[in-house]
Amino acid sequence: MRSNGPVTVSVCLLLAGLLSLVVINLASCRPREKARLEAEHEHDPVGEQPIEPLPLTFDFDAARAELGEVLFGDRRLSGDGKVACTDCHRQNHGWADDQAHSRASDRPDSPVNVPTMYNVRYLYKLSWNGKFDTLESHIDALMKNPKVMASSWEIASRHLAELPSYRQRFANVFPDGLTPSNVRQAILAYERSLVTPNAPFDQYLRGDAQAVSAEVKHGYAMFKSYGCSSCHQGMAIGGNVFERFGVLRDFFADRGHFDAADLGRFNVTQREQDRFVFRVPSLRNVALTAPYFHDGSAATLEDAVRAMASYQLGRDLDEQDQAALVAFLRSLTGEYRGRPP
Amino acid sequence: MNQSRAFRAALVIFAAGFCGVLGYSAVNAIDYAEEESYSRDLRRVQAKTAELNERVLKSRSAMMSQYDPLVHALRSLRAVLARLQRVPGFLGRDAALDLRQKLREGEAQLRDKDELVENFKTHNAVLQNSLHYFPILANSVIDRARAAPSGGDVASRIQALISAIMLFDTAADADSTSRVLAAQRDLALATEAAQQLGLDHEQQLILAHSRIILERKPVSDKIVQQILAVPLPRIALELEEAYSKHFRAATHRALLLRQLLFGLALGTIVLGLTDVILRMRRSAQALELATAELRQANALLAREREKERELGELKTRFVSMTSHEFRTPLSVIVSSTDLLENYSDRWQPERRKDHLERIRSAAGSMDRMLDDILLIGRAEAGVLRPSPTQLNLQEFCRHLIESLEHSSARSHSIQYRFSGDPNVTLDERLLSEVVGNLLSNALKYSPAGSQVNFDVTASDEQCRFTVEDQGIGIPEQDTPRLFESFFRASNADQIKGSGLGLAVVKKAVEVQNGTVEVQSRLGQGTKFVVLVPRELPISRSSSSEL
Repeated sequence: MRSNGPVTVSVCLLLAGLLSLVVINLASCRPREKARLEAEHEHDPVGEQPIEPLPLTFDFDAARAELGEVLFGDRRLSGDGKVACTDCHRQNHGWADDQAHSRASDRPDSPVNVPTMYNVRYLYKLSWNGKFDTLESHIDALMKNPKVMASSWEIASRHLAELPSYRQRFANVFPDGLTPSNVRQAILAYERSLVTPNAPFDQYLRGDAQAVSAEVKHGYAMFKSYGCSSCHQGMAIGGNVFERFGVLRDFFADRGHFDAADLGRFNVTQREQDRFVFRVPSLRNVALTAPYFHDGSAATLEDAVRAMASYQLGRDLDEQDQAALVAFLRSLTGEYRGRPP
Repeated sequence: MNQSRAFRAALVIFAAGFCGVLGYSAVNAIDYAEEESYSRDLRRVQAKTAELNERVLKSRSAMMSQYDPLVHALRSLRAVLARLQRVPGFLGRDAALDLRQKLREGEAQLRDKDELVENFKTHNAVLQNSLHYFPILANSVIDRARAAPSGGDVASRIQALISAIMLFDTAADADSTSRVLAAQRDLALATEAAQQLGLDHEQQLILAHSRIILERKPVSDKIVQQILAVPLPRIALELEEAYSKHFRAATHRALLLRQLLFGLALGTIVLGLTDVILRMRRSAQALELATAELRQANALLAREREKERELGELKTRFVSMTSHEFRTPLSVIVSSTDLLENYSDRWQPERRKDHLERIRSAAGSMDRMLDDILLIGRAEAGVLRPSPTQLNLQEFCRHLIESLEHSSARSHSIQYRFSGDPNVTLDERLLSEVVGNLLSNALKYSPAGSQVNFDVTASDEQCRFTVEDQGIGIPEQDTPRLFESFFRASNADQIKGSGLGLAVVKKAVEVQNGTVEVQSRLGQGTKFVVLVPRELPISRSSSSEL
């Protein structure tokens, strides 16, 4: 009876070995996971028309975005608790600012006119000088920048953790609750949710001839024939190309003074050819984001259109064309969460 | 035992090796889904690069009116390269390092390409705008100039510039460049005429656009060439080759592992089965052994029980015999003592002496009997050991005969013959028991006046004692039990005896490694032959006595 124990053990060992052999053979034949979602399938335009409508649906994490929206307006994100994202990106000004140079708390004025947050997910490069390729690198830099948030994700998450309500909200959304990385993820999710599809002109592009007025249609024709669409094209109507400010006339000579920020992309690349070169901004929701240009020097759409025609195209617009172009630009205001923003 | 331990150790080593290799190969198993998606991504580098190049060319020839396709192609290339950083684990660390090294190269090339594309877009946007707008503007100015009476010259100069630019647009070489430059000079000379026509602003714009075209087209073309020359496809090819090399190595490794696994499994199974079989055989053997032992023990037990039974019988016989044998001399002693007590003062001294002699004789016979019983008891208990000493056998026997003849009534004659070397090493006391008992029996059981032959022969090996009488003999049915204690032959009832003499002889002979045999014929005589070794080894105790 005593010798039965080891015999049983060795038999069990054998069986276990054989079983695992079988399992291994089966496992190596079985496709383990579904093919990963391919990012490039999202939307690949063909490029026959200069402008394409924004997709009507897009994916984002609603729960995270909701939390991110709250964080977006919370001064606890900044190192000294004085600055919130919404101090410069203001919702009632198209997520831009109505000031040429934004002022938040005791921070120095922003060197450039704050761009809109709408449709940032469709931009190829971010900020006027195109310094950032991704929303992640952009938001990380702004958090650390002592002239902006003067903070870090760790500091922000420590500040937020002092409020039980935040801890609860994060716990509801993230399995690991309130962490520096999750604060960042929530804000990123919110930024990705700021999309304004279904603008009247997008409806027109999708085939609804009644969606826009005849003046808008005329404006679009002008937009193309004047050559605006050489740069302002694509889904975001800009945002995917760099161009020198002042191709046919010298903008900065006419303006009369000169700032470091006017060097534009040169500040990023230090290449001579990038002097006065800026990222061509998206024209979507442009009617909401006055003033215009990197220095905020154009107070109205009319001013902006006139300046662009003059300095970029070397042309002086007549009143009718200018009105049509402005009408066209106004038709580019989309819907945010199904409503006009 | 040692062998089986080594066997067990081998089994454990095989099983452990099997488990180890199993675990290792499970961790490093080729994940075919991962492999497929990775090699698809590798092929995609080539495809996406070609797509990007195609879109750049389309963009340059104004077949594409937006830059999103370019941006998307770049972005997905970047995503593919980023995904490729996650090298499948089953390829091993060296492969991962190798592939990542190549990927870094690829990413550097992609950055170059990205920068070039960026540059291209900037130049191309302005260039395409000019190329598009220049003919429209020029033709409308020509129309307006021709409408005026003196506008023909300006119109033809503009026309010449259009032709030069169109030629330049098809082939931007030195020839066409100098033609454009010449046409530009011509048009610039006509500034005054243009002013008169009110077209000086348009003339300047035409010149500006032609300068943009002249300046940017070669730049743009050069950038496009640079974009196409970025060796991303070569790196992609190298990546694919490196990957397929590593993948082949990985599959080879996996195959070897599987073979090793198979061998180890086989070894484990064989060793395990052998172990099981050996164990079963061993337990069967153990069972057999146990059965044999049990059987032996049973036999032993039966023998012991038999012995015990015999011993019990012996005891019963002993008690009955002793009570009987002792009673006779005791009654003599008691009666003689009583008589002496009551009548000694009245008796003659001779009569008193006679009774005292009876008492002494009875006590002596009891004493002898006790000696015999003790000797038998010691022999049976196994504590009787001979104490051999050197003695002269011839002398020893003669003394014995003399003492016997002295004590008996000299009614018999003992014919004593001795031959051989008389110097032997034997136990004197035991030998006297043997010879004394045989001779006294011979005297006791033979009629008065008959002769007893006593022959002693001491050969080189052994001593042979033969005692032959012409007495009453022994019945044949009694011979088997002749040497048992207290056994008396059926025809010996009339003659006094304890039945211990021959038992003592037998024990004493056997203790000295000798034998005793009897030949008898009823009524004619009996012959005892005793054989003992000539020399008994001198025991330690006896030697210490010496």
